[in-house]
This record gives sequence, C-alpha cells and structure tokens, in this order.
Amino acid sequence: MRGTRVGRKATGLIGIAAAAALALSACAGGGSTPPTAELSEDPVTLRFTWWGNDVRTAATEDVIAAFEAEYPNITIQPQFTDFGGYWDKLATETAANDSPDIIQMDEKYISTYGGRGALLALNELGDAIDLSEFPDSAISTGTMDGALYGIPVGLTSYSMMANPVLLAAAGVAMPDDESWTWDDLSEAGAAVSASGGGNVFGVQSWGFSDGDLKNFARQHGEDLYNDEGEVSVSVETLTEWWTYLKGMTTSGVTPPPSSTVEKQNAGLAESFTATNTAAFGPWWNSQLTALTDASGTPMELLRIPTTADAEEGSAYYKPSMYWSVSSRTEYPAEAALFLDYMLNTEEAADLLGTDRGVSANEKIRAYIEPNLSETDKAVVAFLDDLADVVGDAPALTPPGGSAVDSLLKQYTEQVLFGQATPAQAAEGFIKDLSASIAAA
Amino acid sequence: MSALGELRTIGHRKVAGSSKEKNENKAAYLFLLPWFLGLAIITVGPMLASLYLSFTKYNLLQPPEIIGFGNFERMLGDERLHNSLGVTFVYVFVSVPVQLGLALALAVVLNRGLRGLSFYRSVFYLPSLLGSSVAIAVLWKQVFGTQGLVNVFIGLFGAEGHGWISDPSTALSTLIILNVWTFGAPMVIFLAGLRQVPQMYLEAAEVDGASKWQRFLRITLPLLTPIIFFNLVLQIIHAFQSFTQAFIISGGNGGPADSTLFYTLYLYNRGFANFDMGYASAMAWFLLLIIGVFTAINFWASKYWVFYDD
Repeated sequence: MRGTRVGRKATGLIGIAAAAALALSACAGGGSTPPTAELSEDPVTLRFTWWGNDVRTAATEDVIAAFEAEYPNITIQPQFTDFGGYWDKLATETAANDSPDIIQMDEKYISTYGGRGALLALNELGDAIDLSEFPDSAISTGTMDGALYGIPVGLTSYSMMANPVLLAAAGVAMPDDESWTWDDLSEAGAAVSASGGGNVFGVQSWGFSDGDLKNFARQHGEDLYNDEGEVSVSVETLTEWWTYLKGMTTSGVTPPPSSTVEKQNAGLAESFTATNTAAFGPWWNSQLTALTDASGTPMELLRIPTTADAEEGSAYYKPSMYWSVSSRTEYPAEAALFLDYMLNTEEAADLLGTDRGVSANEKIRAYIEPNLSETDKAVVAFLDDLADVVGDAPALTPPGGSAVDSLLKQYTEQVLFGQATPAQAAEGFIKDLSASIAAA
Repeated sequence: MSALGELRTIGHRKVAGSSKEKNENKAAYLFLLPWFLGLAIITVGPMLASLYLSFTKYNLLQPPEIIGFGNFERMLGDERLHNSLGVTFVYVFVSVPVQLGLALALAVVLNRGLRGLSFYRSVFYLPSLLGSSVAIAVLWKQVFGTQGLVNVFIGLFGAEGHGWISDPSTALSTLIILNVWTFGAPMVIFLAGLRQVPQMYLEAAEVDGASKWQRFLRITLPLLTPIIFFNLVLQIIHAFQSFTQAFIISGGNGGPADSTLFYTLYLYNRGFANFDMGYASAMAWFLLLIIGVFTAINFWASKYWVFYDD
C-alpha cells in the first residue's frame, strides 16, 4: 500500500521533470518560422536594448522620440544598462525566449548569438534596410556564413587619449604620434607622474579589454584569434605586454594597482582620464566626446604607440557595435524600419553624433561632418588620418571568446599585484581562453 | 524546552489512524496545495531540469546535448574552480564562527534585563534584514573604498588609507566583516534560547557558590547547545550560498585577481557570461553535495557536544 503511494509520487516527479525538459528544449528550438516583412497598421511595441554612457542614452532617447513622432503606431521601449550587466541580462532573456527585439550587439558576442540562431539574418528581409551606402568591408564584419547578423553602426579605432592640460602642467610636450614608441610613452608618463605628486599619474593602466591586447599583438605580427577561431597570440608577446605594464606600475608611471582596480570597476565617469588624474589613457576613439564632457578638458586623440620595428598595418577599424534583431521578434518589418531610420536618415544622424563611432554609412558620414561638434570632428579626422595605415580587420571573436575580458582582467590583476609573473599569466590566459572556446 | 527539542518531540509523536483524523489530513493537504504547487514548479522542477542539464553541454541558445559525466571530469582540472572553493571555505569557516560568537556574546549581554531591550534587539537585528541586499553591498563598496569612511576614520589617527576592496589581500576580509555584521538573526534565536534556561538551576548553582562565569559555562552553555547547533547548521548553509555581496562588490567577476571569487559567483559566470550552462549546472549539484556533506558532518559531530535536556 505504502510502496505504491511512494511509487506514484515518484512517477509524478518524473512527469514534472519531463515537462520541464520539454519546456526547455522548446525554448531553445523555437523561432525558426520565417519572418513576415509586412508593416502592421495596429499598435506595435518593440523592445530596444543598448549599453552605454549617459551621453549615448540621452541621444538614443531623442532618436526614439523622433521616430515615434513619424510612426505613431510604433512604440519603442528602451532598456539600457552598463556594459558589464548588459550581457548577463541579454543571455538570460534570450534563453528565456524573452529577448528584446532590437539589440545593440558587440563584436565579442556576435558569433555566439548569430551562429546559434538567436539573431535574424537581416539580408533575408529584402530591401527593408537600405545598405547601399555601406562599404562591403563594413558589411562583411557583421556577416557569418552568408547571413548578415549585425549591421555595423560605426567604426572606431584604438587610440591614446592625451590630456593637454596635464601635459602642459608637467612641462611635457605633446608627443608626435606618427613616430612614438612605447618607450616614449613611459618616458613622457614618468615625467607627469614625477610632477603629479601622487595625485596625477602619467598613464592610466590598461590590460582590461581585448582592444588593448589586439593592437599590441598586431604590432608583433600576431593576432588574438586566427581564422579558424583559435587563440593565436603567442606566450612571448603576451609576456612582453604584461612585463611592460608591470614595469610601468612598479616605476609609478601608472597608478598603484588597487587604485587602478577600484577605478576600473567604476565606469567611464570615474576613470583616471575622465577625472583629469592621468595624462594618457588608452580608449576607443569614439569615447572622445564622452570623456571630454566628463572631464571638462578638451582631450587629444593620439595613435597607439608602437615598437621601433612594428609590423605595418597593425591599426584597424573595428565596428564599434552592431544593430541586430532577435530571431524571435514578432515584428521584423517594424524592427527593420527602425534600424533603417537610425542608419540612413539625416534626422537620426544629427541626434546620434559619433558616440557609437563614426557612421559606416558613407553618405551619412559626408552629411554629418560639417555639422559636428569639435570633438566629433576630431573623432572623424582621426579615422580619416588612419586610412593609409590600417590593416584588415581581425578575425571575428569565436563563440566562447566573450570570456576574454574577464580573463584579461583576472590575469592583469594577478600581474599587477605580483601574484603571477607575466610569463605565468600569459600561459594561464591562453589556456583558459582556449578552454572557454572549446567548451562553447 | 528549546525550539529544536520541540521539533523532535513532534517527530516522535505517534500518528493515530481514526477516520476523522484522515479527513482532517485531507483538509490539511488541501491547504498545503498552493505551497506544494509552488515547490513543484519553482523549486523541484528547475532542480530536476538542472540535474538533467548537468549531464549535457548546453549553451543557452541551442538545445542541450548529453555528454555523460563530461562536465564533472572537467571540474577536476579546472584551477579557477579549485581556487573558488578555497575562497568559499575561508569565507564560511572564518565568518560563521566569528558571527556566532558575537551573536552569543551580545545575546548574553542583552539578556541581563537591560532597559530598552526591544530597541537594542531591533537595532542589532536590522543588519540581518539588509545584509544580503544590493544596497548594502553598494554601501560597503563605498565604506571600504579608497575615499571611504574606513580610511577617513583611520586617517584621524594618522594611518595611511588603503583600497580595502581593490586589494586582493584584503578584499575577502571586507566580505567576511559584512557577513559577521549580520549577526542579528542568530542573536535573536540565542536570546530566545537564553530565556528558556531554567532560573532554578542558576539559582541553585549560585547558592552553591558558583561564580558567574562558572554558571555560564556549566549551566547556560550546555543548555544552549541545541540552539548553537541549530544556528551553526543554518549559518554554514547560508554562507556557502552567499552571492550578492561578492557579485556587487567585485563588479561581478570575483576580482581583484579572483580573491573574492565565491563558488556561486564562478558558477554564475560560467553559466551566464560564458554560456556554459551544462557546466554551471554540474557545479550547482556539486555545491549541493558539499553542503550536504558538511551538514552531515555537523549532525554526526553534534552527538558529541550537543546536550538535549529532555
């Protein structure tokens, strides 16, 4: 009697488990129905998610308002966070089949999401989005196996922000960025630190994002990933990179490790660059306006220093970010309409400026150039100047490679605090990143 | 009699089998139904799903693929996982004893019939309500930051400031202090226990010339052991599951240099940042095993030091 009762209970539980498993696989397998590209007359609500600073958020909300005024039946629900929290949230929402319709996508994640069916192939929408003004080289950075999973919003390049006020105060001349080397950077930085009295430093530490590493690797004729999606940077190059950073920290050119870690976690507005406490700082050039706003100092954009025997074409244009559409959206036509508005209209271009990078749309780029603010003009000029020396864009980050920033941060911290030698960090980093890619 | 003793007694009571009682049981089950549905849908269902997922490779976006014990084998060679276990053990086995010691000491002080007892009790209890919240973690980050209150305070004595949270040698300590600070919940339970120590034992001992300290050590403490045991089990389980504080204070990745990488935080990062949900599920079940083992050890050891006055 008792036995059967227990048995029945157990069967019930197995039933629940089976139902749960089914529900899970249903989530994962859904969204394969072909989208209809008809615009609806009824009220439509689209969810639109992005990460970014306050300047970006205000500009984006203005564009949404302008779009809604033109298309009264479409409502865009904004959803924004900082970069760190963004990806956890997007992963959870996507797994729960509750992804936002329009997604600001990053190079580190596009193969992860696109290659696994979470993003709509935008080239299948026909001519809903006009891409005629986008160069093929830009479109190809958002294309995987013939499917366009993301339209590059803008282009950026890695740069060194220089604070002219701090340099002048320390009596250091603005370096000539066409010829400067890493040694020049540490020399100029040392002079600033020496006159800064512990409050102002020469160089803001780096080593927390893949942009830092990719540029250095390319100067050594390597790349972080090869075309097969494997980690291809060498232990020697990584060791050299971390040895240089460690040397700068020991000699006081960069701030003490614990200040670096604290600022690193606090976001752009709290950074050494934005608080006028470091004369040089490595940033994507599109951040010039935000950093100038936050610091109140007109920053100057310099090219990244190189080694004396650096490889040609180590600099590259990176798509700052992409516009992607969820493969599970109910309204692909409306989502495409909104993207088309943001990418191709002059109204949107006026509002958005260059915060997401200099538009990859050549017509829009020519249109906005005369109306730009001083800093935005400098951002465009920096990219134009670089045109002669840039090489091909690096291979797309493979699925699983999104762990790269958190691994870099972990090993950079170990090096800065003396818990690992640069060589140990280099080996550990390559091993961990490879394992993460293999597990994906 | 202690709360735990009471529970034991209920467990020992014989269940009679009259038909009236059976009807009452049915009604009771009916009332339990909403709770049971919640348990099945929100707890048991996802747990079984995660058990299934722990034997799969599952990247959140594509259907899971069964790989047997592959995830568990990978755990053996995962150095970050081993490091995170070390961090978690230090956290649990330092913060819980200190927290309970403090809770007991304050409970004894408050039990002396202080004026305004309920006020003090509430004030001390407050941190346990707030301790694992995001707001407090953010506050903690400020208090122990380079420009924080702690540095301002020690600056008054001429000592040099320190980035407590951004230095790997002190970051975990700030989390331990945060957990110790939430001593209020065990303290309230201790207070309840102290109220149940029969006065006549203490009076008899006093007549026999026992000192205050002897009375505490020989009478109060042994009678309190079931409560201490109860708090110990509860707080150890609770500490193993800590997540929010480390997540907020380290900015989500257990830094600096993995010094605050709790096991739960690493699990979360594997699942949601690295899209390695099968592995994260396997880690979750391993955590359940660890907590189970330590709870079992606790119960086994309790035979040798816990005294039931019944």
